Amino acid sequence: MQNVIQTKESLLPLLVFLVPTAMGVITLLIGRIRREFHFEWALLGLLGTLAVSVEITRQIITQNCVLTAWNENFYVDGLSALMEILGCGMGVIIVLYSFRYIPHRLRGDPALPSKLSLYYGLLLLFLGMMNWTCATNNIVMLYVSLEFTTLATAFLVVFYGSRQSLEAGYKYLVLVTIGVLFGLVGLCLIYSAASGLPQMAGRRILLITELGSAAKLMPSSVVLLACALLVAGFGTKAGLVPFHAWLPDAHAEAPAPISALLSGVVIKVGAYALARTVAIFAATYPAVPVFMAVMCSATMLIGIVMAWAQDDVKRLLAFHSVSQMGYIAEGMGMGTYLGIYAGLFHLLNHTLFKGLLFLAIGAVIHATGGLRRMSQMSGLGAKIPVVALCFFTGALAMGGMPPFNGFFSKFTLFLAVTQRHLFWAAVISIATSLLTLACMAHVAYKIFWGPLRVEGPTPAEEVKEVPRTMQAAMLILAILTLAVGVIPRLTYPLLDNATRCIMKIVAG
Amino acid sequence: MGPAIDPGKLIVTLMAVHLLASILTAETRNLRMATIALIFQSTTLAAIIAVFGVLRGQPWLYAWSASALVTKAVIIPALLFAHIGNFPARELRPIIGFRVSIALIIVFLLVFYRFVHTNMYYIAPTPAAGVEPGRSCLAMAFTVFALGIYVCIIHRDVVKIVIGIILLENGAHLSLVTLAPSLPETTVLGISSNIVVATWLLLILAGRIYKALGTTDTVTLSELRR
Repeated sequence: MQNVIQTKESLLPLLVFLVPTAMGVITLLIGRIRREFHFEWALLGLLGTLAVSVEITRQIITQNCVLTAWNENFYVDGLSALMEILGCGMGVIIVLYSFRYIPHRLRGDPALPSKLSLYYGLLLLFLGMMNWTCATNNIVMLYVSLEFTTLATAFLVVFYGSRQSLEAGYKYLVLVTIGVLFGLVGLCLIYSAASGLPQMAGRRILLITELGSAAKLMPSSVVLLACALLVAGFGTKAGLVPFHAWLPDAHAEAPAPISALLSGVVIKVGAYALARTVAIFAATYPAVPVFMAVMCSATMLIGIVMAWAQDDVKRLLAFHSVSQMGYIAEGMGMGTYLGIYAGLFHLLNHTLFKGLLFLAIGAVIHATGGLRRMSQMSGLGAKIPVVALCFFTGALAMGGMPPFNGFFSKFTLFLAVTQRHLFWAAVISIATSLLTLACMAHVAYKIFWGPLRVEGPTPAEEVKEVPRTMQAAMLILAILTLAVGVIPRLTYPLLDNATRCIMKIVAG
Repeated sequence: MGPAIDPGKLIVTLMAVHLLASILTAETRNLRMATIALIFQSTTLAAIIAVFGVLRGQPWLYAWSASALVTKAVIIPALLFAHIGNFPARELRPIIGFRVSIALIIVFLLVFYRFVHTNMYYIAPTPAAGVEPGRSCLAMAFTVFALGIYVCIIHRDVVKIVIGIILLENGAHLSLVTLAPSLPETTVLGISSNIVVATWLLLILAGRIYKALGTTDTVTLSELRR
C-alpha cells in the first residue's frame, strides 16, 4: 500500500461543481424561453460533469495525488472522486430513464414543458451542490453545501404535487434542515476546540485536512458532544435511526428516478459528511466505534423490521435504504482501514443495487398504470421479463447473495466489525442480511411470480415491456451490480485510495 | 477617559432584549406581528455581533454584523411579508395554550440557560467560551436554539414552524460569534444564504400545502404515517 500522496493544483475541483450548477441554472432559465430543450441541456451538463469526474479519478489513481484549488479550500481526493463519479454516473442513468418515464407519468398535463425544465434543472443543481460538498475542504462550507443539496432536491420530492408528496416534501425539508443545524453546532464546537489548542497555532483549522492533527488533542467531552451532534445532524441526512422519519415518505412519494437519486446519492452525501468528520475521531476515541455500532445496529434492525410491514414497494425499499445505511455508517465508524473500506464499498454497491431496484419498481409503475402495492399485482414476470431480471438482480445483491456485489461489501464489514471485537454487532449485521434476503425474495415472488393479476387502470393483457431507454438505464446498473460482484478488484484502486485518504487525515 | 457606553454592559443588555424578542417572536399569534418581532430579534443579534467587534477589537465582525442585519432583519422578513398575505392572519392554536406556554418557556429557558452557563466548561472548553461575555453569549445562543426547537414542536401552524426554524438558525448563528469569531465573511455569507433560500422554499411549500389542503395545520400532514 503506497502511503505518499502528492498534492497538485488544478482547475478540476472547481469545474466539477461549477459545470452542473451553471447548466442547472441555464436549464431552469432556458425552460422559460424554449420549452423543448431541457433534456438535451441536462444530458449535456451531466456528460460534461461525468467527463470531469472521470478525469479527476484518473489523475488521482494513476498519479497517487490529490487535486486542490483556491489555496486548498477545494480538495479532491479519492473519497471525493468516488462520490463525484457515483453521483454523475447515476445522474446520467436517471436522465436516460426519465426521458420517457416522466412525460408518460405527466401525460396530459399542460404544464409538462415547464415541469420538465424544473425537473432537469433541479437535478443538475443538486449534482452541482453535491460535488461542491465533496470538493470543499472548509469544515463550515461542508454544512452549507450539504444543506444546499437538501434545498435543491426538496421540490423534486414534491414534483407530482399530490397531497402525499406535499406531506413528504414538507417533512423532508423541515426535518433535514433542523437536523443539519445540529451538525453545524457540532462542527463549530470542533473548530472552537481546535482553535484553542496551542499546538494548532498558525494552522488553518477551518480545513478538514487539518482536523486529524487536532483530533487527538481535544478534550474528550467536547469530542463526544460534537460527535453526537454530528451524528444527529449528518445522520438525519443519511437516514440513520432515530433521525430517519423523513426518508420513507420522501422516497415513496417522489418520482421513481428521484427515489433512485435519493437512495443512491442524496443520503450518501450524509454518509460522506460523517466519513469526513466522525470517522476522524473513531480511531482515537474507543467510545466512538461502540457508539456507532449501537446506533447502526438499531438502524439495521428497525429498518428491516419496518420493511417487512410494508405493502407499498417503494416504501419498503425506502426502509431497506434505512437499514443498509446502517451498514455503511457502521463501517465508517470503526475507524480502521478495513472498516472504512467496507463502508465505502457498501456505499458504492448500495448506490448501484438500490438505484436499480427503484428504477425497476418505477418500470412496474409505468407498465401497470401506476400500481406500486404488492397486493395489487402478481405474475408480471412473463409480461415484463427485463424488468423482472433487473429487479431480481438488485434484490439478490441487496440480500448479500454471491456473486452479486452486496455479498462482498457486507462480508468485508462483518470482518471489520469482528476485528474490533464487536461480535454482537457482527451477529446483528448477519441476521439483518438474512432477513433482507428473505424480504426481497418475498417481494420479487409476489410481484413477478404466480398467476397474472393487475388490479389497476391497465388491463393485465395490456401490460408490456417498458421503453428501451428505461431498459437501458436499468440494464447498465444490473451489469455493474454483477460485474463488481464477479470482479470486486475492479473497484479496488478507487476504494483503496479513498480509504487511505481518510486514514491519512485520521493520522494527522 | 473610558468609552461613553461600557461594551460589556451593553452586550448583557442586548442579550436580555434579544431573549425577550425571541420569546415575543415565538408566542405572538398574529403572523405579521410575529415577523415584526423577528425583525427586532434579528436586529439585536446583529447589534450583539457589532458590539463584540468593539469589545474584542475585531473589526471584521462589523461586516458580519452588517450581513446578518441585511439577511435576517431585511431579506427574510421581506420573504415572510410577501407570503404571509396568502395565509390567515392568525396562526392556528398551538398544542399548548398561551398562558401555559409563556410560563413553560420562561421556566424552561431560565433553567436551560443556567444549566448551560454553569456547565460551559464541558460543553465548549475553549478560551473564548470560558470568559464573559462570551460564556453568557454562548449560553444565550443555545437557549435561543432550544426555543426554536420548542416552537417547531409545540406550534401546529406551518408558517409559525418556518419562523421557529429561523429562530433555531439565529441561535446557531449567534453561537458562531463565540465559537468561531474568525470565520471568513464568505463562510458567514454561505450560512446566511442557506437560511434565506430555505425560508423561501419553505414558504412556497407552505403556500402549496394551504392551497391543496385548505389549512396550515401540520397535524393534518400525517396521512403517510404508518
